[in-house]
Amino acid sequence: MLYDLNIPWSPSTTDSQLLQTLTLSASLGYGAVALNTTLTQAPSGQQGAPFPKLSHDSSTKLPRILHRATLVFDDPAASNFSLPALVRIYDILAVRPLSDKAFQNACLTFDTPIISMDLTQNLGFYFRPKPCMAAVSRGVRFEICYSQALAADARGRAQFIANATGLIRATRGRGIMISSEARNALTVRAPADVVNLLDVWGLGREKGMEGLGSVPRSVVVNEGVKRTGFRGVVDVVQALDAPPTKEKKEGQPGQSSNKKDKKQKRKNGEETQNQSKKMKLVSRDADTAKK
Amino acid sequence: MVRVKERYLLVNIIYPPEDSRAGNSSKPNLIVQHQPTTENLTPGILVRALKAQVASLFGDYGAGCLESDLSVKYLSLATSTVIIRCSRDHYQMLWSALTFMDRVPTKDGTGRPCIFRVVRVSGTIRKAEEEAIRQAKQRLIEAKEASSQTPSSLAPREPSHPDVILDAMDGSDDESMHDADD
Repeated sequence: MLYDLNIPWSPSTTDSQLLQTLTLSASLGYGAVALNTTLTQAPSGQQGAPFPKLSHDSSTKLPRILHRATLVFDDPAASNFSLPALVRIYDILAVRPLSDKAFQNACLTFDTPIISMDLTQNLGFYFRPKPCMAAVSRGVRFEICYSQALAADARGRAQFIANATGLIRATRGRGIMISSEARNALTVRAPADVVNLLDVWGLGREKGMEGLGSVPRSVVVNEGVKRTGFRGVVDVVQALDAPPTKEKKEGQPGQSSNKKDKKQKRKNGEETQNQSKKMKLVSRDADTAKK
Repeated sequence: MVRVKERYLLVNIIYPPEDSRAGNSSKPNLIVQHQPTTENLTPGILVRALKAQVASLFGDYGAGCLESDLSVKYLSLATSTVIIRCSRDHYQMLWSALTFMDRVPTKDGTGRPCIFRVVRVSGTIRKAEEEAIRQAKQRLIEAKEASSQTPSSLAPREPSHPDVILDAMDGSDDESMHDADD
């Protein structure tokens, strides 16, 4: 299955626009998408995810929909977010650091699985291999959103390519996740087209396919386990009904049970022989006593 | 004698689904996406647009690479299908240029917004043609199903696209690619 973990949503997005994007991405072959909302500060009060419930007639096929929040922060500690509260609301969390310090912190300490950057901007810092590789080995994935480049002007495109190649160089293509960030239906592209585009920019074809398939899948599954599993480590995948105990005893390997039966039979037979002998002896004794 | 090695890209023009609120969404999605191209699109216009796009993405180098060997072999407006030929070494440039195009190229630049989707890369035009026919047939069947479907009898349809991706990825099953290498 192919994933596109970034379909941006904001309160100004209408349902029909969103539905357009989703139906197109379903027909292009994506199996699961994540609606993404961008948070610059912690949401006030207890509330659920803001995404609309999409009503559609059953003839249109939609991908599986996940909820994601991207936290934008500038100061390295990101002190204005409380992660546990957000974890309860959203399926996936991502961060968008805006400064070098914040980026380092996101790579090395922050407990979110995705680092997503606006690559069309001049970031003001380079992607250095050390923190990037540390992030990848920690399980954090970098996101490249191709439709940023499609929608940008020539300058933004150049900046995007510079940043993307820099990121690919720093991580050697490992742990890179590809998603669209498509603000309308026209900036979604078919998976093969996207893979080719990133191949031109230096991410190999194999890695590109991984970036659409197994990498985002691992993110989704890990996040799911974190939320539903026991201490974020063990997940109950499927609970079988308690088996009826009698059947299980009977259902044990047939040969051994047969052997046991035989033994028991033999034992019983011996006992009866012994008993009959004893009985004979007893009766003989009784006869002699009578005589 | 060394042959000139080529690639044929089979491209579909895909239109975004209708705004469900604005119009009556009576047409099935599949038919809307693969609707005929009504613009006055000719091979010449398409080639010129592609060259302009390649030049804007890859500069003079890209324009030079695709200058001589780029041609539109087949253009069907009714099915919105195109087969484009280019040289094997530079087909990725052409492909990414196609990815970056976002509307139907016309003379006055008033084409509708659309997506160019490459569905097959092959070494011979025959394979590209076969694939085009196969997909057209499949689409016909799907469209019939979609139009006859009532919501109650909605069966989970097999996803038809993932195999297409792999198809476009490896062209190694084409026999011409083997003899192209020797």
